[in-house]
Amino acid sequence: MIKLKLNGLEVSVEEGSTLLEAAQFYGFPIPTLCHMEGLSPYGACRLCVVEIGEGPRSKLVTSCTYPAEEGLVVRTASERVVRARKMIIELHLASCPQSKTIQDLASALGVRQQRFKQEYEDCVLCGRCVRMCNEQMMAGAIGFYGRGEKRAIGTPFDAKSEVCRLCGGCMHVCPACQLRCTYTEPEKAVCGGCANIEPPCLEKEQFDDMMCYMKPCVACEIEK
Amino acid sequence: MARFNSTEELRQMRRILYDHTDHERPRVVVCAGTACHSSGSNDIIRVAKRHILENGLADKVSVRVTGCHGFCEMGPFILTEPQSAFYAQVKLGDVPRIIDALLAGQYVEELLYADSATGERYHRREDIPFFKNQKRSILSQNQKMDPIRIHDYIAQGGYEALEKALAFGQPEKVVEEVKMSGLRGRGGAGFPTGLKWEFLAARTGDEGKFLICNADEGDPGAYMDRSVLEGNPHSVIEGMIIGGYGTGASEGVVYVRNEYPLAIKNLTVALRQAREHGLLGENILGSGFSFDISIVKGAGAFVCGEETALIRSIEGKMGEPRQRPPFPIQRGVNGKPTVINNVETWANIPLVFLMGAKEYAKVGAENNSGTKIFSLVGKIRNTGLVEVPMGTTIKQIVYDIGGGSPGKARIKAVQTGGPSGGCIPADQFDLPVDYDSLSRAGSIMGSGGMIVMDENTCIVDVARYFMDFLKKESCGKCFTCRKGTQRMYELLDDIASGRGTLEHISLLEELALVVKDTTMCGLGQTASNPVLSSLRHFRREYERHVVDKKCDAFVCRGLVGAPCQSACPLDTQPWRYIALLEKGNLEEAYSVIRETNPLPSVCARVCDRKCEQRCQMGVGGGEPVAIRALKRFVTDRFDPAAHKPERKQIAKNKIGKVAVIGAGPAGLSAAHNLSLLGHKVAIFEAGRALGGMLTSCIPAYRLPRDILYREMNALIDDNVSVEFGKKLGKDLTIDNLFSKGHKAVFLAMGADKSQRLSLEGETLQGVYTSMEFLKAFNLRGEELAGGHVGIIGGGNSAVDAARVAMRQENVESVTLIYRRTDQEMPAYAEEVEAALEEGIQLKTLVSPVKIRYIDTAEKEGVKVHKGVTAVKIHSHGGRLVGIECVKNQSGEMDSSGRRKPVPVPGSEFKISLNTLIVAIGESPDSACLAEMGLKLDKSGRVEVDARTLATSREGVFAGGDLVTGPYTVVDALAAGKKAAKIIDRYLRGEEMIEPRAPMLPDVYIEPSEIDPSDFENAERAEPELIPAEARRKNFREVENALSLEQATAEARRCLRCDLEFTRGARKEAETEGAKDVHI
Repeated sequence: MIKLKLNGLEVSVEEGSTLLEAAQFYGFPIPTLCHMEGLSPYGACRLCVVEIGEGPRSKLVTSCTYPAEEGLVVRTASERVVRARKMIIELHLASCPQSKTIQDLASALGVRQQRFKQEYEDCVLCGRCVRMCNEQMMAGAIGFYGRGEKRAIGTPFDAKSEVCRLCGGCMHVCPACQLRCTYTEPEKAVCGGCANIEPPCLEKEQFDDMMCYMKPCVACEIEK
Repeated sequence: MARFNSTEELRQMRRILYDHTDHERPRVVVCAGTACHSSGSNDIIRVAKRHILENGLADKVSVRVTGCHGFCEMGPFILTEPQSAFYAQVKLGDVPRIIDALLAGQYVEELLYADSATGERYHRREDIPFFKNQKRSILSQNQKMDPIRIHDYIAQGGYEALEKALAFGQPEKVVEEVKMSGLRGRGGAGFPTGLKWEFLAARTGDEGKFLICNADEGDPGAYMDRSVLEGNPHSVIEGMIIGGYGTGASEGVVYVRNEYPLAIKNLTVALRQAREHGLLGENILGSGFSFDISIVKGAGAFVCGEETALIRSIEGKMGEPRQRPPFPIQRGVNGKPTVINNVETWANIPLVFLMGAKEYAKVGAENNSGTKIFSLVGKIRNTGLVEVPMGTTIKQIVYDIGGGSPGKARIKAVQTGGPSGGCIPADQFDLPVDYDSLSRAGSIMGSGGMIVMDENTCIVDVARYFMDFLKKESCGKCFTCRKGTQRMYELLDDIASGRGTLEHISLLEELALVVKDTTMCGLGQTASNPVLSSLRHFRREYERHVVDKKCDAFVCRGLVGAPCQSACPLDTQPWRYIALLEKGNLEEAYSVIRETNPLPSVCARVCDRKCEQRCQMGVGGGEPVAIRALKRFVTDRFDPAAHKPERKQIAKNKIGKVAVIGAGPAGLSAAHNLSLLGHKVAIFEAGRALGGMLTSCIPAYRLPRDILYREMNALIDDNVSVEFGKKLGKDLTIDNLFSKGHKAVFLAMGADKSQRLSLEGETLQGVYTSMEFLKAFNLRGEELAGGHVGIIGGGNSAVDAARVAMRQENVESVTLIYRRTDQEMPAYAEEVEAALEEGIQLKTLVSPVKIRYIDTAEKEGVKVHKGVTAVKIHSHGGRLVGIECVKNQSGEMDSSGRRKPVPVPGSEFKISLNTLIVAIGESPDSACLAEMGLKLDKSGRVEVDARTLATSREGVFAGGDLVTGPYTVVDALAAGKKAAKIIDRYLRGEEMIEPRAPMLPDVYIEPSEIDPSDFENAERAEPELIPAEARRKNFREVENALSLEQATAEARRCLRCDLEFTRGARKEAETEGAKDVHI
């Protein structure tokens, strides 16, 4: 067993467990997006950052990839951590506001608006689908290509894959397309109201069942 | 080839090679590194060889082709041995002469390297400042060998370090030696190399251990690793073999980017040679130790310089980093423990063993031993690779080695560490360059790129450039790096294009801090550095972009528009009136000029021409359009009184009464513009004439008085009244102005109190300040100068005084004394030139140390000039006879980017003078203002809010020289105009600050069809000056106007930068049926 200090608490965890697992075991919530049980840790979304160490040498690391070390001092919700998380989720919102998962995470962190140029992307490149395909379905049909702003997920040369079995595992684990908010089509809406208390769009009576917490409202923005 | 089976055999070989070399044999050394190669060194080599063969010189002289020497700016070059003469930028035809001179033991003087700043030529390369001030322990090896000849390397002591390391017998001692040397990784982070090796040596590594040489040098502007690898690959190989021996590693990889073909070629050859000689492979030098090195070519991703990404790339996977731990030392290539060091670190290892760790540790600074190579690029005179001991200051690197700025623009900052680094502003150039100091200053050492930026480099644009690079080069795996760099780029792009707000800056900073904190690898963690460090040191420049919508470096196109317009403080549209002039539409050209400028004829003569300095014709290396001369051509043709500017009619109850103090250009401009806005203005002037400095200081030969008065009088209309002889503090106070019903006060009294030398004897008869002297003459016609006249100062008023003195009757000679070099004189260059033509002597690098009284002068044996009478006699002390001066030499750079004048002891000398005029600057005469409750700074200038010109007192505004200190006419006019707008809003009770939009050209003027051949070789039209003899003793205007032909031809030289911005206006005009199009 490894002893470490988690939010001031002396705890011990099994050797080989990550900080995220340790925190979850002891009931400290850490938001994650790219992490999924059963898939290898990847560290892409950066939402699960925690602060380790003390004084000037303390730093932020992703808890999903960092192994629990003997004597490590970990804070899962320090001011620095929360400030970083808020900015990270704001960046996610700016890219992919229609994801219910992202909206809920933002809402839980108290983020009510984002200040960047609004984009409506379908993917946050968290890599869950790639790992699902490789690690659980043993297919390896999709992977990353390109780098920087051109990075994307796809099959080799974007051609129809011969190894894909159309299992749908990739879609099942996607945080951007599951529970997708469908805006102005109420009959299809799955956006059943996130934790936002004050919906910005009060004049949309016919959408009483769906509450977009974003300001400006994503639904209204897209309708324009 | 002989394989060495023991160190003894290697040593024997070295001895043989050494003994069989004629060390005094003449040699021609030519660099064939990438930079010289591209500037044509291959042809030089070919021509040299042919000359030698054709003339049968092969037994007398040889050619050596080497790697990079570092002075890439000067390529292709020839270095001769044993003379050590350095011929820079050699032309093919010169090669035979150089070889013949070498054989004759002579020099081709005119081809030797000459310092571009001083013109001095050097016979020995070691004396050239660029080389003299470096300590080249790595780079100096390049010149001694052909990189593809292992014997060259061995003869220079190559693989001797390996012998020594093997002789230690125990690998631990090798590691210990490296630890003792204090060598730190040259790749950027500066981790102690010995410590890293120790970690690796301590690992058992059943499956073997790995060494990697990181040659994935990808930052823009950096190429030192490339040069080492190209010029001296064996040093890297030797370092790695020693590393392998010390750490117990058996395999090595050099990861080199495919963009370095020459490095790959030379390294491949070197590896083969080393293997053939038994220096690499099984049983190295018979020691029983085996180690081999292979090359892995990278595909050019910047991120693959990051160690975990590099390892994945070597494994054949996608080059993206992974979270550490585990560190490469725990799990590296294929899971094997791995040490990664940079090219330069490996090249330093042989040096450590040759010198001994203790000696090596003595070089450099504390905790930062050894030398470091920097690639010095950007706005710098001597571009190239520079090797200096750690701890050398930036100042030494930039000025002593780099030679400072190549042009007149001052150096503003240095970016260290490439895109991951930060900038260091010029006022911190005393910073020693070592890992710790740089990171404290918010930058990093990086691999050693050093990009010099001057005033013409926009800091926002630089940050945007780096961010563009990083957003493309981020691997994209972790979200904050991929999106963070994209979003930072977006924000920077908004700021640079004029869409920025203050919120952009705060969001940018917030984001940058989070990106730095939360990304996975070194690329992301340092990606914010260009933003954070430039915000830290140049926040003001960011704010200029978003608040004033100005880019002072004239780089951001969306803010600059037409540079001539953007440069003008009055927002005059030179492109527009030049285009109209070219079409012959002079009337409209005049109203375009007059619209923004109340005193156009004055500016057409004495403006400092900020527009011409920024004219794209001039920036591109040609001559700028003669904008001022064209303006004069237009204004000469119109009577200022005939122009009727548009007047605003405002409601009676909105009309305010404004008091303007001072009738100089700032005051007149404010009064005129307020009058146009419908207000009543009362001007109070302490003197007896309008114009302030225009009448009292600027001589009539530059600004004819009839033209000046005609233009000024045209500004006095029904809304404006002038009272002369009313001095603030004596005849008026701000309180009684308010009590008399004035709703606002604009202070524009200028700055006409001359500064003193603070030397004894300054109140002597015959000693005047430039203001006393010029006012006496310009306003009252009194000639104060006589006999031999000396003038101290180098500004415009010094030159004005000199030239006025020259024209006075009793003057025999005039000497101008300035403490710096003539290059640094603040006066307009053409005025200085004109003054010299008129016979004024110039003594530069001289500053006066004491003014002597006549009696002490006589005691010291100085001959007093007799028979020269002073115009005015002061009754105290004695009379001035001369000054004693001391010679100066150029010292260190000061924060203004100019070299400090440093007195040379013992160089004192005397100048006999009858009149001494002190013209070392003016400051405002503002003591009375402090009593009236205004805040002043320590030189007496009024402190105002730069955006509203509001002083610390409600309703009181100030502008012009009173606020800025002595400055230009056009800036004073602009201050007056700005004040008028703000006071108008103040009187109406509106928000005083008006949000600014970028001033972009908005009127489309159809360009004329010009035959390009007419204009390709067209020279700038310079107005003629009347000959020096004809003007020396009178006050006729010196400069003539352009003729119609000259003016039209000159106007055609305009590049019409406006057209890029008026496309929209053009379309509109076309659809409206050419209503507003001027044809």
